[in-house]
Amino acid sequence: MSKEMTVVVIGGGAAGVSAAISIARTNVRVLLVEQRDRLGGAIHRQPASKTTPPVTRAKGHVQAWAGLMKELSSCKERITVATSTVFSGIDGNGFVLLDNRRSGELVAIRPEGMILALGATEVVHPFPGWELPGVFSAGGVQVLLKETGRPLKGTTLLAGSGPLLLALGAQLCAAGGPPLAILERGEPFKRPTASVKLLSSLPRLFEGAGYMLRLASANVPYRSGAQIISAKSDKRGFLVEVLQRGQHSTYQVDNLVVHDGLRAGHLAVDLSSLPFPTVEAGDGREILGAHCAMADGRLAAAKLLSRLGLATASAAADEQTVRAARRFQSQLGVLFYKPPPPIQSETIVCRCEGRRASSLPKGVTAREAKLVGRFGMGACQGRFCADATARALGEGAVSCEFRPAVMRWPIRPLAAASIARLRFVSANFNEIWNDDTTFA
Amino acid sequence: MNIFFWGDLQVEFVPGETIAAAMLRSGVRDLTPDADPPAYGRVFCGIGACQACLVRQGLEAAFEACLTLASDGMRLTPVLPLAAAPASQGSNVNV
Repeated sequence: MSKEMTVVVIGGGAAGVSAAISIARTNVRVLLVEQRDRLGGAIHRQPASKTTPPVTRAKGHVQAWAGLMKELSSCKERITVATSTVFSGIDGNGFVLLDNRRSGELVAIRPEGMILALGATEVVHPFPGWELPGVFSAGGVQVLLKETGRPLKGTTLLAGSGPLLLALGAQLCAAGGPPLAILERGEPFKRPTASVKLLSSLPRLFEGAGYMLRLASANVPYRSGAQIISAKSDKRGFLVEVLQRGQHSTYQVDNLVVHDGLRAGHLAVDLSSLPFPTVEAGDGREILGAHCAMADGRLAAAKLLSRLGLATASAAADEQTVRAARRFQSQLGVLFYKPPPPIQSETIVCRCEGRRASSLPKGVTAREAKLVGRFGMGACQGRFCADATARALGEGAVSCEFRPAVMRWPIRPLAAASIARLRFVSANFNEIWNDDTTFA
Repeated sequence: MNIFFWGDLQVEFVPGETIAAAMLRSGVRDLTPDADPPAYGRVFCGIGACQACLVRQGLEAAFEACLTLASDGMRLTPVLPLAAAPASQGSNVNV
């Protein structure tokens, strides 16, 4: 009899949990790794405590997550949930390194396969002042709102592009802290053809219409074709200079929330170089949205299982869900499309290293800018600056320069003390991770 | 009492809440108060991706304020980014 196989799933959002369940049902042992203390990811982030005021959430999402948690409970014999555990990378010998922040140990596991369900990365086009404290990403503010039930203190301006600004604006209204305005760089209402095509995705379109209604009833202005020129801190917060169709205006706010869309791909590594089959799932693989994450998780599981030589059930329905989500996302992309604004010379392109566009070396590749100029060298590993650096260099899309073939670990801060307590594990995961609350 | 310390400042938190959420509620936004621009620490992405909200406890390794639950009696200090770290400043310098 062959040894029982183990698959590590990184990411406890909808896609990761869904993939874990599908794999566990084929009698493969699953270790489901989540950096936070609870499952949920960004979309299904749970309130911090029982006293947290509830936040408006799409009903479909709430039901889908409850259903998934029930399925997870039915698989608890085969799935170990490792919460407060941060994926630290894969070492040269093919060991997956997991930073167990609860015990202060680095755990090394050699699985037969791996699913990466790391979620989306937010795109933020930098402008002078984007690096200041009090400037947040929209995803970050949404996660905080779900956890605390309270909007940020003071006045808030939302700016950038995409449907998340609308969703967050509506949720902030419902939580009693309507934004001062929503500034959309694109001009979605000027593109009637795209809007008609979107009608084929009626339920989600109603979700968008609901957001607009809530924003309208709270008198939140939605200004399209408006972009931030700069933000300067003053004693009370920020002075935000805005350009809308040739007109300059200034907003005085306490919080500035920015967002220019979502991007797949979190990890600076070439997956084909890994020593075991690895499949991406969810928005980390392709931006298809929360509605599609569970289907995409099942598809990723099926793909991995077939690479492991295990039979899987038909995936036709999930493939159809993915195709519909892809159409919807591409139409949204057309609806909101606006090329990124030019990068001003005083803009800090790389926040981690504090590097301005003006100090970008001339006539170099993105790789040279990284090695010589320290652009993208910092702790975020280029997640928030690689696009802008490439754009400032005139390279267009991010080159693979930021995706080396060999994984450099740790990909997150890791205590030397945890490395000193390195622990190799091949089974009995429950001895290390035994959080009963997961299946409660 | 559910309180942790940010330098000398007492920060109240609700059990189950992250350090980042509690600090923002207390009005703490600049996580590198002694650093010169342009290298500020701050809560930004909320999911551990931007690494801008790193804090530390004593001389232990830095960790993300947005991922870590607050706990009673924690004593947290800033992690100075390399670009802003003074040449010699003992225990606070992250090199």
